[in-house]
Amino acid sequence: MKKEIPVAITLILAILYVAANYFTGVSFLETTKNLLDQWFLIVAAWAVLVGSVNLTQIHGRKVAAKREGWFYSAWLIACLYGMMFFGIFVAKNASYPGWTFMYNQLIAPMNATVYSTIVFYIGSAAYRAFRVRSPEASVLLVTALIMMLGRVPLGRMLLGGNPALSQMADWILNVPNSAGMRGIQVGACLGGVATALRIALGIERGHLGGTGE
Amino acid sequence: MSIVSGYSFAFWVELVYLAAVIVMITRARGGIKIPEIYKVAGLEAMDEAIGRCTEMGKPVHFSPGIGDLQNAQTLAAMSILGYVAKQCARYDTDLIATNRNVIVYPLSEEIVKQSYAEIGKLDSFKPDNVRWISDDQFAYATGVTGIMFREKPAANILVGAFWAESLIFAEVGSIAGAIQISGTANTHQIPFFVAACDYCLIGEELYAASAYLSKEPVLLASLVAQDWGKMVGVVLIVIGTIMFSVGSDSLKVLLSK
Repeated sequence: MKKEIPVAITLILAILYVAANYFTGVSFLETTKNLLDQWFLIVAAWAVLVGSVNLTQIHGRKVAAKREGWFYSAWLIACLYGMMFFGIFVAKNASYPGWTFMYNQLIAPMNATVYSTIVFYIGSAAYRAFRVRSPEASVLLVTALIMMLGRVPLGRMLLGGNPALSQMADWILNVPNSAGMRGIQVGACLGGVATALRIALGIERGHLGGTGE
Repeated sequence: MSIVSGYSFAFWVELVYLAAVIVMITRARGGIKIPEIYKVAGLEAMDEAIGRCTEMGKPVHFSPGIGDLQNAQTLAAMSILGYVAKQCARYDTDLIATNRNVIVYPLSEEIVKQSYAEIGKLDSFKPDNVRWISDDQFAYATGVTGIMFREKPAANILVGAFWAESLIFAEVGSIAGAIQISGTANTHQIPFFVAACDYCLIGEELYAASAYLSKEPVLLASLVAQDWGKMVGVVLIVIGTIMFSVGSDSLKVLLSK
């Protein structure tokens, strides 16, 4: 029964939700879909609390035991609860100046910093991928060279103003690349629908803590 | 009651597809032979990666991506997590499962715990190893980077919905010396995974993983229906290309009904 009841609930709600997306003019379906969307938001809000408890437990134990790097954990807990209490008791709304200051001056630059590190990772990944070790890697290297030179002014300059590299880069991007991407997307969409069906029908129960039937 | 405009064709196709899946599942339950499925190197390597961790006495790191539970890729990742957790429990290898989404986190914890229980090693389950890092994409990426450098897992399994953080995860895993198995259906991240990881599940292979790993005939049967769907898709593409080339857009009109 521990698994049958969740499977039955999943099936019923999946049918209602899918029907609400396909059919119009049925108030019961629309009401149910809106209700389920609201439930999802409520569950997500409570799940934040569960996640915060997990973070506090892991880092609290680290601080208590004074394990290596414990001060980073202490700082994390201070920031977590500092933001939380400031938001709940001082800011109270997302447009409060102090709140927007913290977001714009702290969180946004930190996010941008981490995002910008990707450029270095692209370099190291490209170096490994483009090493000529096999015919496939050679094709990858040649394609990448055309793409890179075709996308920067240097490529046109090297050919004395001839746009051939740029046109080749466009062709690679729009024809073989698009065809490959779309092929993967068709397969992935069908796979996604099949996964959804397996879960809705209760055949796949991995999300319930087991695999298969 | 009427079908939403533009959804008619999709509705009927989905119904036919559903019927095909049910037919195949019924046949599998009846004991009919399921066609062989080609070997997926990334899934075959899953046991090898966990075995490597066991030999080296190092943990396995698992990330289900940053998608939420409404994303089928996350659900597929959860099924793989169940398999990985069982193997880790079987070989007494630590499994560090990191999460970005707060709804996915309790589910991950429950799946790992249940898997340890099914193997009969609930005592070996460490709740601290299933971690919620942050709901913020790059804070999560930073947290995983720290774990990779501090705890040095010997295997890095990245399956699910990934976006810009994919290359960060794969590169830090590579620097940490981990064997890396990745998988996503987000087409723009696949090149990063292919370039930086040892094995990559491309698109639909991610969704096939649970069936492939469990070897359950009923689950494998649904993959056959999936392949039928793909063949129909290919036929429609060919017919559509020919029709459009000769100046007819009737298939396009039919598909958009």
